[in-house]
Parts: sequence; structure tokens; C-alpha cells
Amino acid sequence: MIRTAVLATLLTLALLLAVVAVVLVPIVLVLPDPRGAVGMFLFGPLADLRHLGNIVEAATPLMFTGLAVALMFRVGMFNLGAEGSFFLGGVFATFAILRLHLPDPIMAPVAILLGAAVGSLGCVVPGVLRARFGASELVSSLMLNYAALFAGLYVVNYMLRDPNAGAMLSYRLPAAAKLPRILPGTRVHLGVLVGLAACALGGVYLFATRWGYEARVVGANPGFARHLGLPITAVAATVQALGGFAAAAGGAIEVQGMYLRFSWQALPGAGWNGLVVAILAGLYGGDFAMDRAPLGGLRAVVTLPAADA
Amino acid sequence: MTPPLVAFRDVEKTFPNGVRALRGVTFVVRAGTCHAICGENGAGKSTLMKCLFGLETPDSGSILIDGRAVGPDHSPRAAAAAGIGMVHQHFSLVASLTVAENIVLGREPTHGPLIDRAAARAEVRRTATRFQLAVDPDAQVAGLSVAAQQKVEILKALARDVRLLILDEPTAVLTPQETAELFERLRHLRAEGLTIIFISHKLREVRALAEHVTVLREGRVVGDAPIGAISDDAIARLVMGREVRAARREVRHALGPEVLRVAALSMPAAAAADRLVDVSFVLHAGEILGVAGVEGNGQRGLVSVLSGLTRPASGQASLLGRDVWRMDTAALRRAGMGHLPADRFAQGGARTLSVADNAIGGEHRSPALGRWPLLSRWRVERRAATMVSAYDVRCRGPRALLGSLSGGNAQKLIAAREFAAEPKLLIADEPTRGIDIRAAAFIRTQIIALAERGSAVLLISADLDELLSLADRVLVLFGGRIAARLENGPSLTPEALGPYMLGLRTAA
Repeated sequence: MIRTAVLATLLTLALLLAVVAVVLVPIVLVLPDPRGAVGMFLFGPLADLRHLGNIVEAATPLMFTGLAVALMFRVGMFNLGAEGSFFLGGVFATFAILRLHLPDPIMAPVAILLGAAVGSLGCVVPGVLRARFGASELVSSLMLNYAALFAGLYVVNYMLRDPNAGAMLSYRLPAAAKLPRILPGTRVHLGVLVGLAACALGGVYLFATRWGYEARVVGANPGFARHLGLPITAVAATVQALGGFAAAAGGAIEVQGMYLRFSWQALPGAGWNGLVVAILAGLYGGDFAMDRAPLGGLRAVVTLPAADA
Repeated sequence: MTPPLVAFRDVEKTFPNGVRALRGVTFVVRAGTCHAICGENGAGKSTLMKCLFGLETPDSGSILIDGRAVGPDHSPRAAAAAGIGMVHQHFSLVASLTVAENIVLGREPTHGPLIDRAAARAEVRRTATRFQLAVDPDAQVAGLSVAAQQKVEILKALARDVRLLILDEPTAVLTPQETAELFERLRHLRAEGLTIIFISHKLREVRALAEHVTVLREGRVVGDAPIGAISDDAIARLVMGREVRAARREVRHALGPEVLRVAALSMPAAAAADRLVDVSFVLHAGEILGVAGVEGNGQRGLVSVLSGLTRPASGQASLLGRDVWRMDTAALRRAGMGHLPADRFAQGGARTLSVADNAIGGEHRSPALGRWPLLSRWRVERRAATMVSAYDVRCRGPRALLGSLSGGNAQKLIAAREFAAEPKLLIADEPTRGIDIRAAAFIRTQIIALAERGSAVLLISADLDELLSLADRVLVLFGGRIAARLENGPSLTPEALGPYMLGLRTAA
């Protein structure tokens, strides 16, 4: 058991090194200063606090979407609505901040909750379509992500847009809506702690509660769930709602933690990356919540420098 | 004298986890015979066959084919070249391809860069005719019955010019008629000169087919004799390692209070296995009511209605005096129904969940397992460990996945779970199908114990010996109707049930 686990880890590390090496070869060939570039690529992210902060910032939204995908897949639904939920979460958090005149002390948390509640629709709708009509959640969630995008853009354009901004941007978010920075010298914000807590809660839900047990039974073998008399559609729909809530909360937290204005013009891709994170983190077994943060960070290590360059 | 086709000499195999699967196995298989290998699950039968087929390498000892020892580089490819073919319990067919495509897979006749479909089809027809195994070469495998898929597997082996065909529990997935047909074909193959190694739990089948039987127990050969020189009892003793206590019970005539009453139950359905016509019966506390019948005569429909999986069209049902008509599974379970399903991995449990998770199903809302809404891992695992030890489930522990258990052990765990709820009504659907003799005997004993504690048991079984050794009364289903209601007793034999099961007679 332990030996296979060690082997699997070594294999993963070897694969990672191979991939990094393959990516580096063309970079080295075209750059005038290959040594500096490679050094920056490999060690830049670890060079100083600001760069380390970048990793954590990039990992924060992935904690939420990864959790969402892990939850939804566990009940056997291949629901890809996390992308749309994440986007809607950001839009409706912004809506709550700019249009609802919330009192300052409760503005940030209420905006997150409202964004999460509305945004969860992005995952609930495909789940319900599947449960009620047998429509493939894979197809409907993929298509509904675009419906979520354009519905969200409509809200931004007609209700939140700052006509003086010169692009499709919302009005500035007030200071009371922003999540506090928790690490001086970086943009790491309170959301990372919320994300860690959410992942831990997700693990507790799945592996230590009765509801989580039912969800795992439904996902592992619907025939067994039926034999036990479990309410399969209700269980599956509940988990889709939870997953959507987590993804949309991630969108809201990303906007309130990182942005001055709402500025997404397209699907930001956090849902897709969440899928990758969930699979990398061993969605189909093990204590995924534990692995989530480091692996999210790992992904950020691999992709961020490339984005900077 | 020509050397035997296969000879095993002191074959030893110890797995990395320390299990000694084979200990000095020595015996021979003569060409042109049908050779049965018997033994419990885990006795080493499959490991031995894998060694012969090149899927495992023995630690020491040798395997001789035609008198020549196979080398350390023995592989399935080398085995195939030596004329050995194997039909596994789980088929290795590509469901989306046709029969012909599956049979020629890996050595397709070609016409330039393209597959010569006509030649493939012709080859399949030729082989099928030669061995009298009728198949449609153009049928898609996914649409075939299990029996037909098995035929394709056998043809796939035969098309590669095998001399020795290994069949690993070929009848576990077949209905009685399909089994009879398979045996007819195998006898024909043997007459053609083929050697057959036949792995089975069922003594009746061994006797019907084999000329020679080898019994393995705990990796050792404990018996090796021509079939005529050894009795069924002797084989059973060798397999079990001790006297088999047949779970016969005294038939009860004093009836307890009524538990289940079913009246005029009807369900028109497309599949004959689900169809029910005017089924009525009463089941009492402490009673075991056997349901006999050729498979596909309404047993599946009866079980799915009584366990709440499907809703019947008309009729009445009451459980302990309560109307349970058209109740769903959850409500029926609350009312005291327990169900030991026929398909343990499709319904009985989840392969990818742990033994502990499988053990607490149905009981997972009980306050005994932790403070609401939490499930205490410790309590769950302790609960599972209790079942594991009470039912002698062989597994690495409560965290092992159900899929890592042998069929018999998985079935024992599922039975432990269903019986632990002390159901007032137990539906036992093929409770011992495909599991080893010892596990089967244990489950039968537990069913009897449950009835003696006052449960009413509805026992559906295609194994008539099992049915007659357990049931107080027997219903025979034919075409979805009750063809006979019979009191069990020494005069009721499988032969006496035959005419009712085949629809030749009724006694309802």
C-alpha cells in the first residue's frame, strides 16, 4: 500500500519534471538569455514574498471551483457548470455591492452569500434537468455556461456599467466591499482562509456526515442506493446546489478580493481549472480537501510565470 | 506412452502480500479429456490456471506442456502458440464490435490496408459450423445475451486452433437451459479431440461433464481421481476440508402469525422475467417460502415489486397487517422488509466503497453511529468489524474496498448487513449463487437462524437442492403464474418439481 503510494508520487513528480523540461526546450532555443529566463521560470515564483503571494492568489479561486467539481462528481454527475456559477457569483456579488445599498459592516459577506446563492443556479439547472428529464448534465451544463456568461454580461452592461470607464467595466467597488489583505507586501486576501475552510468543510461533509454518506453511495452505485431506498434525485440535486454555491462563492470572493471593478468580459476559466485541480487532487478517492491547496498552488507555479512573460 | 498434455510438478506460488496461493501442486491433464478442478474461492484454482496461461509465473516447480517444461518467459502469447485458450469468468469482448470482428481481433484477414470483412465472416462461419456453435457473425456483441457472448468467447479461442480450452466457472452467469446447451457443445468439442479444463463449484456439473477431477484446498492438491472413483460426498468433503453439514431443516407445520399477504398481484411487462399474473400467497412468521421456477418466469418481477423497486399494475399487499400497496423501497424497509439481492455488485453493495461504508447502508441514519449529523468513523468501523467477525468475512479490514473481496465474502457482508436489521420479512433472491460451498452453507445457516427468530423468508433460488433443504413450502412460478403450491417433505424432489416448472402440470 505505502510502497504503491510512494511509487505513484514519484511517478507524478517525474512526469512533472518531464513536462517542465519539454516546455523549457523551445523557450531556451528562442531567447537571447536562456539561463536567466530558465532561472526566472523555475525559481522566480519562489524568489520573494510577492511572487509567493501570486501563487496563493492564483490558487484561491481554484480551491472553490475544485471543491465544487469534486462534490458534484462524487454523486456521479459530470456537471461542468462550475464555470458559469463562478462567473455569475462574481456578477451578482457586484450587483449586491453596487445596487442594494447594503450597510458597510455587512456589505462584503452579504455580497458573497448573495452572489453564491444566485450563481449556484449555474450548477443547479443542469442537475435538475438531469434528475427530472434525464438530459445529459454534461451537455446542458456546457451550453448553459454560455447562457450564464451572456446573462451576466447583460446585467453588467445594463445595470452595473460605469459609462465613464471607457470599457465594459462596472463602477468602482467601495472599500467596504473588499476583502482585507492578510499578508503585507502581497495581494493575498481573506478569501484564501475561507477557501481552506470550505475545502475542509467539504471533506467533513462527504466523509463524516450522513448526507455525505448518502451522496457517496449514490455516486458509487445508484443501484445500491435504490436498494437502500435512498432518495437519489434529491441527494444528487442537493449536492449540485452545494457545488454551485461553492463555485459561485469563489467567483464573488475573487472579485471582492482581487479587483477594483468587475471586469470579466468572458468566462474566466476558473471552473475548467477547478476540474483539473479536482482530478489532480485525487477526486476519486482519498482526502481530497487536504490536497487541494498545495496542488492548486502547484498549478499556479507551472502556469503563472508563463502568463507573466 | 505419450506424455500428458499438461503436467504440473511441485508448482509453488507466493504472492508479494504473503499469501501462499500454490503449495507443491502436482497433477496431470491427459489429452482429449474433460478435467474438472474444484475448490473453494481462494483455493488456488485461478492462480494455477493463470500460471498455465502465462499470466502469472510460479516461484518454483515446473509446468510441462507435451512433456516440455515451459520457460521463464512463458506468456499468454506463448500459451496461445502452444494451443491453450482461456475463457475467463469476465469476458474480454469489445462490446461495440461485431461477433466476427471480435473473433478475428488481433489477426484480421487483410485486403491491402483494409480488413477483409468477407473473409473474416467466412472464417467465423466455418469455425462456428465445425464446432456447432451457431452465432451471427454480424451481430453486435453489446446486443447479445450473456450465453451468446460466452459462445463468442469460446469461438474466439477455438478460432486460434486451441488444443486445450480452460473454462473458469462458465456456468456462473448462465440459466439452467443455457448451461445444458453449453454442456452439449462442450461434449461435442471433446468428441472433436479438444481437451477441456473446467473450473466449477457445482458438483452436479462436474459429474455431468468431467472424466477426472482434481480438488484444491489452500493451494494444495487434496484429491485427484477419475470421476467414477469418487462420490459427490467425498468431493464435497475434500473441498470443505471437513464433513459438510447439509443445512437441512425440519419442516414446520405450526404456522406463526401472518406477516405478508399478497393478493391478485399482476404486472403486465415486456420481459417475461418481470411478468406477473394473478399471484396470491400468504407468508407467516418463522416460515421459509421457496419460489421455484425456470429463470425468467416472473421471479424478477416478484422480487422487484415486493422490494419496492417497481409498482405493480393491480393487486393488494399487506405487511404485518399494514397496507403496503405500491410503497417504495424506503417505506417498505421502514415497515420491516429486508432484501438480499441476487446481483451483489449491482444492487447489494458498491464495489468502490469500503467494507465499512457497505456495512452501514440502511442503518446509516441510526443514532448509534454518531451524533447527528456526523457519522463517527470509529463507531462505523467498529460496527463493520462486528459484522466481519460474526459472518467470517475474509478481508483486510473495514477500510478494504468491497471490490477487493471475493464473491462469497462480499455476499456474506451484504447478508450480515441485511440480517442485522432483523427484518420481519426477508426476500432472499439467489442468496448463494456463484459463491463457494462454505460461504453458501454459512448463509443458509443464517437464513434458517433468522426464520427461527421469527422472520418470514421468501427464498427465490434456481438451486433446487438449496430450495428443498430450506423451504417449508414451495411455490412454482411458470409464465408469471403460480403453477403449484407444494408442502415440502421427503417426497418432494427436484424431479417432482420438474413438470410444474416446465408448465406440464399445475397444482395451484
